[in-house]
Amino acid sequence: MLETIEQTKSGYRYVAALREQFGRAVQDESWQAPDQVTLTVDLNTLPAIVSWLYYQQGGWLAVVAANDERPLNGNFALYYVLSVEGNGSEPAQNSDKCYMVVRGLVPPYQPEFPAVTPHVPAAVWYEREVRDMFGLQPVGIQDERRLVLPDDWPEDLYPLRKDTMDYRLRPEPTTENETYEFLDIGDEELVQIPLGPLHITSDEPGHFRLFVDGEHIVDADYRLFYVHRGMEKLAETRMNYDQVPFLADRICGICGYAHNVAYANSIERALDITIPERAHYIRTILLEVERLHSHLLNLGLACHFVGFDTGFMQLFRVREKAMQMAEVLTGTRKTYGMNLIGGVRRDILKDQRVQTLKWIAELRQEVTSLVSILLETPYIVQRTQNVGRLEPQVARDYSPVGPTLRGSGFDRDIRVIHPYSAYDRVPWTTSYKDGCDVLARTLVRAEEFFTSLSLVETCLETMPEGPILVEDFQYKPYRFALGYVEAPRGEDIHWSMLGDNQKLYRWRCRASSYNNWPPLRYMLRNNTISDAPLIVASIDPCYSCTERVTVVDVRKKKAQIIPYKEMERYCRERKDSPLKT
Amino acid sequence: MTTVQLIAVGVLQALLLLIAAPLYSGFVRVMRAKIHSRKGPPLTQNYRDLFKLMNRQEVISEQAGWIFRITPYLTLAAMLLVALILPILTVWSPLGMVGDLILIIYLFALPRVFFSIAGLETGNSFGAVGVRRELLMSALVEPILILVVFVMALLAGTTNLGGISSQVVARTLPYSMGFWLSMASFAFATFVEMGKLPFDVGEAEQELQEGPLAEYSGRSLAIMKWGIYLKQLVLVGLFLALFLPFGSMSSLTAVGGLVALISFALKALAFFFVAAFLENIMARTRFMKAPAATWLALGSAVLSFVFYLANV
Repeated sequence: MLETIEQTKSGYRYVAALREQFGRAVQDESWQAPDQVTLTVDLNTLPAIVSWLYYQQGGWLAVVAANDERPLNGNFALYYVLSVEGNGSEPAQNSDKCYMVVRGLVPPYQPEFPAVTPHVPAAVWYEREVRDMFGLQPVGIQDERRLVLPDDWPEDLYPLRKDTMDYRLRPEPTTENETYEFLDIGDEELVQIPLGPLHITSDEPGHFRLFVDGEHIVDADYRLFYVHRGMEKLAETRMNYDQVPFLADRICGICGYAHNVAYANSIERALDITIPERAHYIRTILLEVERLHSHLLNLGLACHFVGFDTGFMQLFRVREKAMQMAEVLTGTRKTYGMNLIGGVRRDILKDQRVQTLKWIAELRQEVTSLVSILLETPYIVQRTQNVGRLEPQVARDYSPVGPTLRGSGFDRDIRVIHPYSAYDRVPWTTSYKDGCDVLARTLVRAEEFFTSLSLVETCLETMPEGPILVEDFQYKPYRFALGYVEAPRGEDIHWSMLGDNQKLYRWRCRASSYNNWPPLRYMLRNNTISDAPLIVASIDPCYSCTERVTVVDVRKKKAQIIPYKEMERYCRERKDSPLKT
Repeated sequence: MTTVQLIAVGVLQALLLLIAAPLYSGFVRVMRAKIHSRKGPPLTQNYRDLFKLMNRQEVISEQAGWIFRITPYLTLAAMLLVALILPILTVWSPLGMVGDLILIIYLFALPRVFFSIAGLETGNSFGAVGVRRELLMSALVEPILILVVFVMALLAGTTNLGGISSQVVARTLPYSMGFWLSMASFAFATFVEMGKLPFDVGEAEQELQEGPLAEYSGRSLAIMKWGIYLKQLVLVGLFLALFLPFGSMSSLTAVGGLVALISFALKALAFFFVAAFLENIMARTRFMKAPAATWLALGSAVLSFVFYLANV
């Protein structure tokens, strides 16, 4: 197996360049897959290496995973995962594109590390999360507020350390009030508008604080992670490998299957399992079916947020066909419960294929006419053009993913850059736009919808016969690898390390929205408050899938909201009203 | 007709409008649902909502003062007064001795002032933004209303609504270019004043969480909503009284009353139908761009005045 990696490994060029540039700072290299290399480097040189890969070699920050490896080697480990895609100096070849994982070891007697954020802004959320979850202090990071843990969480309790707590533990709150400090931008003249914690149009909790001058947004700040579910801890402590896919399904109500495939891929790569061709095709089909209904949802929401409810409802009517397609193919209206490590659980039969092909033809026709109606509707273009601009430079700095990035002129799609499943076996093209605004992101989604239709069609017609599952493999402890999927909202990435007790040692799943939230602040600036919900929706955020970790007592959360008098009528039980007159 | 009879007619029609108002708004809701391809609520849903809200507990912000409390009642009362004055069943204004066109215009303005102050009083920052928008929209639309009303008054030679209505019915008022332009601008202004998309920027649900309205609850919200339903209907009534008063009775008979009632109901239904249709094929305009549309209507109103002066 190692031999095959030697022959085809694609990041070799970068490793050589790194060794040349940074010399002995690069301590070790190991290959998890032909396109995945993990370099253990000196902790103090780590920011320089990550920043060199990021800006000099066309790297995008995919995920940062921390791991409590004290039982293994006595240290905490930090894994900075970059998708390195070449700096354009040489003609781009797919062989130059790989995932480079930069690993640094943090000794437990000195739990701090030099922050990457000052060099690469994209790392900001990851490093704040590492501090919350592992108690490792990023030195040099400006924003020292909590990101993930609730404000009433005790100090010195770091949930993802192996020796900290049982996953069922709910610690006593330490404060009655929400103590999160929103940014103080120092201008008394500005009005602060709270958009959340529960907002009428987002239907998921997230607290945006807009600093406005009249109708004009000067700056924005937000507090998310109100709905943590403790999934990573749960998977690490009580689920076996084949149960985790069912949990991964539940990460997101929309792109659950993408997470599922990403998880399965990560384990299959770590163990070097080759899954049957037919399983690859089935996974591809289901991933695209998921994209169909996700994009229809977002197109509908775009209509809703500009007040064009007719378009919203019509798109939802059509979306029903995509849901039925999922039902025919998988047995549930969501593409749930289909994966096992090693393949899929259910084959696609002939009549299912025929039915799906028929619906695809209908969907293509109906959505074509709906999209043209949408674009011709008065005020739609006026409301979306030049609104919520994500400047290419901001995008480069923050590594957003999916249509959010592709709306800003970057042709970056994981399905092409790091092909998985059957994406390199069927012909298709990516979509991107230069508009940088809400309209561009919406148009990218519309185009991708039709691409998905063709992809499902092609895969159904060309998929090979054969088995759909392999089972003759053994789990080997402490192997790890990445799994990645271009979900409808962008790249989902899972970093999994196997354990020695039929459970994962560490599972870091990063949903696409996680990378799209940080640049949102820049998208909100210089717009009007009436456009704020539209802009938030244009990244198609998924609150709950960003928020996987630790548990929050929902009732407690309600009590904390009280300082926000303006919003509390949403959250309060009427008979206990403190404002009753 | 004696004054007593007229007052009786006025009270009757005000009551009828009050009762029918939720039905018309319910019709709009049903239409909206049909255009959305939804099943939608039954026609009578608004009555149930009002009834439900009447029995709900009311929560009022600590910061709110008396204006916030009386605004719903004041809104409903002002609209009822308009309903008393409008010539709907008869071609004469039932309470013509109380007020004319100018009073009516200000009866529409009065609740808005209170509504705006009420929105500011609660300290809700969305409310404040909504109020700002509301006032701006009124500043944009009021000139249209007033200008058109004056042109009609000048054409008819009286500011009494009944006087104008009866002249239109009797066809003594010339169908000039000015008349048609006035009608077009007034129809537009009515559409905006009804709070329809794309101009409902003050209470935009998605943007401002319904603006000033958000703070109302329970009985106040019910009264407020009823006031808004009634406002929409009397606005349409005003438009019909000024420009399409056909079918109203000029002498008091049972048959005449029935004809007047049915013809008004149908005309109003047609207006609501068109408004609901337009509303559902459009997105909400960006607030800053709203003046562009209202300028057009104001231009047409000014033009009608010019036509009046030029006597064409």
